[in-house]
Amino acid sequence: MVAMDAKGWIGASVPRREDARHLLGQGVFAGDVTAPGMLELAFWRSPVAHGRIGAVTRPAGVYVAGEIGPVTLLPAGPDMPGFRQAPYPPLAEEVVRFVGQPVLAALAATRGAAEDLCARCEVEIAPLPAFADVPAALAPGAAVLHPGWADNRYGSGHVKAGDVAGLDAPIRIRRQLGLGRQSAAPMEPRALIAVPDRRTGELVLHISSQGPHVLRHALAAMLGLPESRLRVVAPDVGGGFGAKNRLMPEEVVACALALKLDRPIRWVEDRREHLMAGAQAREHLYDLTLHATRDGIALGIEGELWVDAGAYALWPTGAFAEAGMAARNLGGPYGIAHLDVRHHTVATTKPPMGPYRGVGRTGACFAIERLMDALADEVGVSRYDIRRRNLIAQLPHTTAAGMTLDTGDYPAALEACAGMLDLPALEARRAAGEKVGVGFAIYTEQSGHGTTEWAGRKARVVPGHETATLRMHPDGSLTLLTAIHNHGQGLETTLAQIVAEELGLHPDAIAVRHGDTGLSPFGFGTFASRSLVFAGGAAKAAAEMLGAKLRRIAAHFLQADVTLVDLREGRAWAGAASIPLVDLAHAATMRQERLPPGEPPGLEATADYCPPEDAGVFSYGVHAAVVRVDAETGAVALEDYCVAEDCGTMINPMVVDGQVKGGVVQGIGTALTEELRFDAEAQPLSTTFAEYRLPDAPSLPEIRVLHLVTPARSTVHGAKGVGEGGAIAPPAAIASAVEQALGLGMVVTQTPVTPRRVLAVLP
Amino acid sequence: MIPAPFTLRRAATWQALPELLEDALPLGGGQSLMPLLALRLAEPTALVALRALPGFSDIAERDGALWIGAGVTHARIEDGIGPAPLRDWLSQVAAGIAYRPVRNLGTIGGSLALHDPAADWPVALLALGASAVLRQGDTRRVLPMAQFLTGAFATALQPGEVIEAVTIPIPAPGTRFGWCKLAPAPGAFADALAGVFRAPGAAPRIAVASPAGARLMPEAPPPDDPHLARLRAVAIRRAGA
Amino acid sequence: MTRLCVNGETHDVRCEDRDSLALVLRDALGLTATRIGCQHGSCGACNVLLEDVPVRGCLVPAALAEGQAVTTLEGLRDDAVMIRLRAAFTAHHALQCGYCTAGMLIAARDLILRGRAGSAAEVRAGLAGQLCRCTGYDGIVAAVLAAQ
Repeated sequence: MVAMDAKGWIGASVPRREDARHLLGQGVFAGDVTAPGMLELAFWRSPVAHGRIGAVTRPAGVYVAGEIGPVTLLPAGPDMPGFRQAPYPPLAEEVVRFVGQPVLAALAATRGAAEDLCARCEVEIAPLPAFADVPAALAPGAAVLHPGWADNRYGSGHVKAGDVAGLDAPIRIRRQLGLGRQSAAPMEPRALIAVPDRRTGELVLHISSQGPHVLRHALAAMLGLPESRLRVVAPDVGGGFGAKNRLMPEEVVACALALKLDRPIRWVEDRREHLMAGAQAREHLYDLTLHATRDGIALGIEGELWVDAGAYALWPTGAFAEAGMAARNLGGPYGIAHLDVRHHTVATTKPPMGPYRGVGRTGACFAIERLMDALADEVGVSRYDIRRRNLIAQLPHTTAAGMTLDTGDYPAALEACAGMLDLPALEARRAAGEKVGVGFAIYTEQSGHGTTEWAGRKARVVPGHETATLRMHPDGSLTLLTAIHNHGQGLETTLAQIVAEELGLHPDAIAVRHGDTGLSPFGFGTFASRSLVFAGGAAKAAAEMLGAKLRRIAAHFLQADVTLVDLREGRAWAGAASIPLVDLAHAATMRQERLPPGEPPGLEATADYCPPEDAGVFSYGVHAAVVRVDAETGAVALEDYCVAEDCGTMINPMVVDGQVKGGVVQGIGTALTEELRFDAEAQPLSTTFAEYRLPDAPSLPEIRVLHLVTPARSTVHGAKGVGEGGAIAPPAAIASAVEQALGLGMVVTQTPVTPRRVLAVLP
Repeated sequence: MIPAPFTLRRAATWQALPELLEDALPLGGGQSLMPLLALRLAEPTALVALRALPGFSDIAERDGALWIGAGVTHARIEDGIGPAPLRDWLSQVAAGIAYRPVRNLGTIGGSLALHDPAADWPVALLALGASAVLRQGDTRRVLPMAQFLTGAFATALQPGEVIEAVTIPIPAPGTRFGWCKLAPAPGAFADALAGVFRAPGAAPRIAVASPAGARLMPEAPPPDDPHLARLRAVAIRRAGA
Repeated sequence: MTRLCVNGETHDVRCEDRDSLALVLRDALGLTATRIGCQHGSCGACNVLLEDVPVRGCLVPAALAEGQAVTTLEGLRDDAVMIRLRAAFTAHHALQCGYCTAGMLIAARDLILRGRAGSAAEVRAGLAGQLCRCTGYDGIVAAVLAAQ
């Protein structure tokens, strides 16, 4: 079905092997796993945003903090002295700090019965002040959420380069901007089952997780278990997008109770819990001033940004990466040499913030692109031209914040994206009175960043390498073991393509296994657009090692010089002579006497990979949104959406398209519909999909994608990460398009751009 | 979440129904009720499934009106029942309610009995001059919609009484009906609803969603929220008033 | 005991009246193709067929399905439309994580059988309320058009 093109498997749109099981309903997700004697867990969660816990009345089968067994809380957030600690207890101990925080744990034979137990619990909570947003938390005289804190900031930072104050720029544009609070909302909520294995003495945790090894490390530390006695299995995972990559209280409670009671414990998050108490994301506030010349050249940005990080810091990073990344990315793809931005990570009585596709950059992109639009309006050039004037023309380029944008051609991408549209036709419609408009936005996406970058951020976990084991079995079939996780990214297929390319095999010959600490070498999991670069690099390196051994053995069999041996089509060739790899595998494993003298038996290679440019490689893209606005109702209809993007070499273009389109539609949700709203007492107002609205098919146009390909200099096959980029630019592009449709200047300052907000900016 | 425990009863005859309902809620298609139960926003101890009641899903033309059994699903109406042009009007309203798998179970009677102020049928049926046929055992009474719909989440139903059917007068030739639902997305609950019914020689009858449920203009109370008030005015105009 | 006829087989299952069909299919019968994504009818992951008509499995008490034919994705393995849909979903990259897929396939099959998959716009309209968080829907729309 799939022809290997002239280049081989790299660049071939191989259909995904993952599909077959899901299309038959045979995928196995954590919530599908059961065990004999299993108890189901439900949580009594705080109904108030902030309060002191008093008397607790509860039936048997309900546990309070302190009864679930010994638990050691872990410090979370950057490993630096100025960052205040707010570790998240598995069950609240004296104080509750957001609506939905777990307070009591109920166990029963069914989930319904466990919820019935919760319904019979009574907990006295003496109310304390709620801080529903950043201004409330930072108001003078506000009480502090955590003991010992001087104010409600986890920490602050300062990104400074050049000398904004000394610029004396003639144009200064100050704007306040905001990005709404979101839920990653994977279709599969979180789920887990902790099963004591009496044979091995292990606790086996099946959990919907993006990174089982790192999770095991934290859980073992909290529970006081050796890591050798905790096995974490992440089976099929129904989407993550960041929301399944932090240590959360529910898994700690489930594991502790499974150990305490020596019984399997299952917890399946429902949607209300996910929207109320799962990791939340975004919610940035900006107060920025752009300094520029009269001909529209942006020179510097100064100001402040605040991130509403919620009540606790999730292990390992807390929300600090969010604010810092937003600050460092404020320059976007533009040659802005002066930055003076203070960033603050603020505690409120809302659920803790976690990462979500586009971390930091969706807000930074919204901010800089809104400012560029304002600049265009101010100096009287088109919003397209202002970008052309300011884009970095020559790469590599080190930004003011110290990031090295590596390869590509940003102006070419802008032109390519505009070329996907019929702009004169759109202009004609506008001239005829139609309220249609186009908006452009440009992003860069750091990917494949390693030790230098993460250590620089003072991360407690530095995901600077990834390991793969490639094993050839006696019959010549292969298994690749890796510690990244595949929850829709197609990595079972693309990693097989990389190994197949190296060994001259069909990808179907290579099984890929992941997501199980009992199977694969240590690794960090899937996040930060890293997996293809890191695990692809490790897979290729392991394949090279295994290939070298196969060539040595083949040279012996073929009586040829090893340098002349070539692997293709499942055979080792030396000139016209060849031998099937299966014969080599058989010899190496079952018939060692046939091996060349001194060649050790076995065909297994484990390779670790650190990217040579460990500050990361940068994908980028230009988005164009075409909208039609109903000026009477404020409704925004997307008519067209175009992307011209460059993620380097594509291993599987079909998979890349899927990542881009899926990311864009999440970004459209950020732009138009998705918002976790709270009232002034920090009561959540968006606890079902009726209130937290994900985009669905009728509201979307086809997402049109054009690929520009500039290979990275140092990564395997020149690939860059592509997972997050799509989700970064849509809010900026759509906000700009709405303004053009309405004939307005830069007035859209807050996402999502709901009908209410559209009507509010109309004169 | 899982609903609080309840007992499910099945009503097989109209005569037995009032007793079954004494401590229970009636269950039509369940498409509005089950989500409320799943969130434990309502915790009835018993539900009575109505759909096996004789004639509960009948459709007929009688005495110049279309009789739609309370158990007729939105999907069946969407696919076309009754004579044109009423058929198309009803289909348009039904097609805008939630999503097809929900419409396959959700019923016109259930929607009316709940009278969610953002629901489609109460407004549409009010505009169309429909009546509710209410039944308790062997006793029937017929109320015009304006009398049946007493307020948001409130109707004239008495204990032990359920909606048996809706009757809609077959419109005279030349009659027109306009319908406008403004919602955040197809199938979502409405921000504004308006139905405008124009019979030849008569003043238009305009029904809207209001904080007090479905109401006729001009007496429908305005939404408190100026945004929704604005949308309602737009909906009324777009429905053809 | 509740007697359910699922995918042509009769099962007597122990469940409570409050248990949804989706829950019972998964927990009592091990038919886990039916996924639960929201429990309030908004996402479509739990679609199953009741007398050949798609319904939300989370919004039907299992006990009310007694006496009706229930079909899950597992029971549509040899269905002619589903065979075409499966091939088209792979060819058009219409799934990523796979969690929404069963519900999406059941909704898509219904669109095709009702003749409501004639254009991209019609397919999009017909897929209202079928949430997918991964693909952006383009692949799904293309696959449904290709499979009819």
